[in-house]
Amino acid sequence: MKLPINYQIAATYLTSKVKQTIVAVLGVTFGISMYVFMNSFMSGVNEAQNRLAFSTLAHVRIYNDRPMDRSDIVSHVFPAGTIANIRNSKVIKYTDGIKNSQEIIRYLKTQPLVSAITPEVNISVFFKNVGNKVNGTLSGVDVAGEDRLFKTAEFMVQGSWKELAYRPDGIFVGIELARSLSLKINDNLNILTADGVSHTYKVIGIFRTNLSSVDKAKAYLSIAATRQLLAENQDYVTDIQINLADFKKANQLVNIISPVIPYKVESWSMANAQLEAGSNLRDVIAVAVSLTILIVAGFGIYNIMNMTINEKIREIAILKAMGFAGKDIRKIFLTMGTVIGLIGGFVGMGLGFLVSDAVNHVPFNVAGLATLPMSYDPEDYMLAFSFGLITTFVAGYFPSRKAAKIDPVNIIRG
Amino acid sequence: MKDSILSASNLVKYFHEPETFQVLKDISFEVKRGEFLALVGKSGSGKSTLLYVLSTMDTDYEGKLAINGNPLTGKSQNELAAFRNQHIGFVFQFHYLLPEFTVLENVMIPALKMRRLSREEIETKAYGHLSTLGLQDQALKLASKLSGGQQQRVAIARALINDPSIIMGDEPTGNLDSKNSQLVFDIFRDIVAAGHQTIIAVTHDEDFAANCDRVLELSDGHLLK
Repeated sequence: MKLPINYQIAATYLTSKVKQTIVAVLGVTFGISMYVFMNSFMSGVNEAQNRLAFSTLAHVRIYNDRPMDRSDIVSHVFPAGTIANIRNSKVIKYTDGIKNSQEIIRYLKTQPLVSAITPEVNISVFFKNVGNKVNGTLSGVDVAGEDRLFKTAEFMVQGSWKELAYRPDGIFVGIELARSLSLKINDNLNILTADGVSHTYKVIGIFRTNLSSVDKAKAYLSIAATRQLLAENQDYVTDIQINLADFKKANQLVNIISPVIPYKVESWSMANAQLEAGSNLRDVIAVAVSLTILIVAGFGIYNIMNMTINEKIREIAILKAMGFAGKDIRKIFLTMGTVIGLIGGFVGMGLGFLVSDAVNHVPFNVAGLATLPMSYDPEDYMLAFSFGLITTFVAGYFPSRKAAKIDPVNIIRG
Repeated sequence: MKDSILSASNLVKYFHEPETFQVLKDISFEVKRGEFLALVGKSGSGKSTLLYVLSTMDTDYEGKLAINGNPLTGKSQNELAAFRNQHIGFVFQFHYLLPEFTVLENVMIPALKMRRLSREEIETKAYGHLSTLGLQDQALKLASKLSGGQQQRVAIARALINDPSIIMGDEPTGNLDSKNSQLVFDIFRDIVAAGHQTIIAVTHDEDFAANCDRVLELSDGHLLK
């Protein structure tokens, strides 16, 4: 051993009471591995949840909102108290869809936060297979763009996603919808629009998103075929779906673009507040549980350090008599705490990884998952490690300060 | 002509617990380099208290203390610790070795703290002291495995390692049988005979005191001439 004497003394104290040291190290190890596991699991769950949610939900959506309630139009124009007699009022036809969609898409492409954009034509229709009738949504999509946003190609159970682009007569239906209408590949499916237009398509693919509301009532058509069905022009779009590199910045993007765009701009969190709430609550629980464990481990270390110092109070006094200053004594015990923290930290990160990996192999066949979800984020590991170090440092600091203040005369004289 | 190694002037000390009580009453004396001095007195006379004031560990006193020409009154605890490390060696009634370290490490620790010599030089020196005291065979044993007499000799070797100007003993033979007491006394005699080191020892052993160069007797906090 060639260490400076303070470290050598710390090392001897740590190694001469191996059992005590191991107990202290285990406290930290357990705290840190639980921290790693809890956070990895919670972020895994959040990621799975987001993946599921964003399989049909874009980060930001632009659409033409319904016109305002105009049933009391008179009071907006005439002074209060004006008597009017209007019966059976009618709403005149408002503009459907988004005008100048090309212009808007070009503008959106200049936004640095945006990673992908796709136009859609969404309409409510009846799906009919002679006797069976189901209402649902028909989504006319830009085939390549839709896949960029939602990875729809991965949901195909039968058929190939790209085929939709070349088959104006082809349609993809959700798996539940296909079942309720008894449809197989190459069967005919009749579509009836709200305006009374009827058209028959051939089922060329079946998809499963694992969101039953979608699988039960959605079908995809190419956007061109949909415009044709509605007898609309080649610029006609009802929704513009936007994805961001970081979905957490959706509201930021909304704030930037909504003053410029004369339509409703809605972020995923506005549309689905419960998603965000759930993910935040899980984060809070994970942090609370793991911090509690670390604090308990911290008290364990504090106790062991205090015990060690009480046991060695005479030796501390004698070291002081021989010329060790208070700061040397503090250094000895802080070194012990830090070494316990470091070893516990490294072992804890390893154990945390092993526990996470084991749990990640537990089968969990729900909503398209095969096993329990888990994320492996180095940031979680670094955070756990630094929390562990801080805890042991604090837990070692107070006893070591006490040791530094020991008055050697009192102890040696008895 | 021998010069002065330690000078104490007008030392006064009070205990405040359980009630204020004056332990040391205006004590002044000088110790010459190479002297073997015994502090004697009845229990409660203040002899141990005086030794701890002289040792610089107890700083709660009035008066002035200087060792080797260095005024020590009013210095910080850290400065005093460094001073003790270099200039004062201690031998206590109970050996107070560090039980988890080997004999050799125990002897080396004060020198490793001072860091004036390399580890190899310190080790050679420690072996030298241990063999002078007849302990070279025990060097690699844990300190706690030795007999009481051996442990006290290790403590002496530890006190000597930094070549201190003064060695202070608080009843250094108080816990030893007569054979070991004689052994320790002879070692102290040799140290003083060798040259520049001074020994101040509190003792109630009359034989021990009788063979010292000078005896200072305390009674109720006063120095009896």
